[in-house]
Amino acid sequence: MMALRRIDPVGLLVLPAVLYLGLVYGLPLLNLLARALVVDGVPSLAGFVKFFSDPFDWIVIGNTLRIAVLVTLLSLAIGFPTALALARARGAAQALILVAIILPLSVGVVVKAFAWQIVLRRDGVVSQALVALGLWDEPQRLLFTEAGLVIGAANVFVPFMILPIYSVVKLIDPRLGEAAATLGAAPAYRFFRVFLPLALPGIVSGIAFVFSMAVSMYVVPNLLIGDRFQTLATLTGRSFLLMRNEQLGSTTAVVLLVLAVSVVVASSALSRRFGGQS
Amino acid sequence: MDTISRAGLSRRSILKAGAAAGFTLAAPGLLRAQTKELVVGGAASHKPWVEQVVIPNFEKKYGAKIIFEGTKSLVNLEKMQKNKGSQYLSVVQMDDPVMILAVKEGLLDPLTAAKAPNLAELVAGATHMDGMWANYLQPWLGIAYNKTAMKTAPTSWADLFDPKYKGRIIIPSLQNTEGLPSLFIAGHLATGASFAAAQKDTDAGFKKLAGIKANLLTIYTQMPQAYNLLEQGEAWMIGPAMSSFASERKAAGAPIELAAPKEGVFAMPSGIAVVKGAPQSELAFAYVNELLGAALQAQLVGPTASLGTNKATPKPAGLPADLTVHQIDWANVAAERSNWVSRWDREMAL
Repeated sequence: MMALRRIDPVGLLVLPAVLYLGLVYGLPLLNLLARALVVDGVPSLAGFVKFFSDPFDWIVIGNTLRIAVLVTLLSLAIGFPTALALARARGAAQALILVAIILPLSVGVVVKAFAWQIVLRRDGVVSQALVALGLWDEPQRLLFTEAGLVIGAANVFVPFMILPIYSVVKLIDPRLGEAAATLGAAPAYRFFRVFLPLALPGIVSGIAFVFSMAVSMYVVPNLLIGDRFQTLATLTGRSFLLMRNEQLGSTTAVVLLVLAVSVVVASSALSRRFGGQS
Repeated sequence: MDTISRAGLSRRSILKAGAAAGFTLAAPGLLRAQTKELVVGGAASHKPWVEQVVIPNFEKKYGAKIIFEGTKSLVNLEKMQKNKGSQYLSVVQMDDPVMILAVKEGLLDPLTAAKAPNLAELVAGATHMDGMWANYLQPWLGIAYNKTAMKTAPTSWADLFDPKYKGRIIIPSLQNTEGLPSLFIAGHLATGASFAAAQKDTDAGFKKLAGIKANLLTIYTQMPQAYNLLEQGEAWMIGPAMSSFASERKAAGAPIELAAPKEGVFAMPSGIAVVKGAPQSELAFAYVNELLGAALQAQLVGPTASLGTNKATPKPAGLPADLTVHQIDWANVAAERSNWVSRWDREMAL
């Protein structure tokens, strides 16, 4: 009875989530880990040794991280100002921006990827615009290039950058900036020393969301860059589905998981340190 | 019942009910006369021609009922594995690579000329693993091209490598069954070796294929996406392209055409086999025999844009009479595919 009383009853509210995640996420994950660490029926690290000693697999890791970082940066560049605009907007304008952000989420990734195929093709609007602006001499190929993949993937994930930033920024008291101004802080100083540290938790969650989705995306690269660009996610899918090589598949899945988790944890640790959060 | 409750018991409704009761009593006799039932497992895409052509022909001839379950080859395999010992499927229509798996699991009853006489009438290479299964139809692989972008039709597989088509070519992934011949074609073009030899020694093929990279728009794993790009004019050629899919798009009004290169086309595998321990085994062999027969195949080659496998089946309209059809060694594919895909990943990367 004493032990039970010490548990905060509110804490019990997480029970359904813990049960659910334990069952449909934790157990399969353990199973996956176990398979990666067993070679021919005996516990072994041979699968990982083999994976990391193949230069091609390092290229795949490089592809995965590079694309995920670029997609996250582009989403941040587009999402941050949008989130500010959304937080400052009032009434119909705010509703309009929200709808514009949330509605595309209801469109499937496959539909979006097909739409990008039309937009990015040689006679598509992006190519035409770049030629009209004089940046390109003639229409060039954007489809099935890394640039095309980054642009398309950022489009899919940008709402997950905007919404967390918005939810934090809208709570920042605008008078704080005014107060800093009365104390003689220049706009740049106000932004970097007052606004940004307060907005940082939202930015970090946005980055964590987008990065973890971009690093593990499977359908988007399949449709926007095709078979010639392997990432850890596509390699995992293929190992299980086509090559029936469970050992390789679970190894790549574990590598992907470790990479994604460490980047997310590191970014949130960094933000705590530099953002002065406790 | 509705009639009775709404209109009350009139003389007419009683007469109707009586007639219905009489029919119900007689029905078991009628049903007993029709108990010969055969369940065939195939691909969902087979459903139209099986139901429109095969079933009416067969039911008329044998007085038996056919139930066709259209799904995927791997699902059919699963059904056979799960029901081992008490099979309900009698016949399966599956792709050859899946047939190999079914043979390994001991799920198939070999075909013999005694049980299916048409087996003796097939072209070379259409019977596999000592008669474990046979090909009843062969969709073929040629080059699909956009008619608006290409004024003249491609005539050779070498056209795919022509530098003037920079960024305009799509090839299938080696993951896709129709993608395998790219490797054999490249080998043949590089050394002049026969296609049979090029399947065994793929090294020259891989080296030659690296030369197509500048021409590639992409390598597809999703066929509809590739055809979408071809129809929009972003891609000009897809090769190897499956006749059954290309002709379906063409029939739907897409501005595309399918060419048969002079070096020959490749036969894609549409296999048929009898399930081991199948109910109605005799009827199952009869069904297979019908599909291997020239009469039925002649009716199917048009709608499926495929080649027949019976020597007496005429080629579908629009194909040259002296067309060479190359066969793929699926057992070799099954043994080598993982290695090929692994090398392909490295050498065909962006």
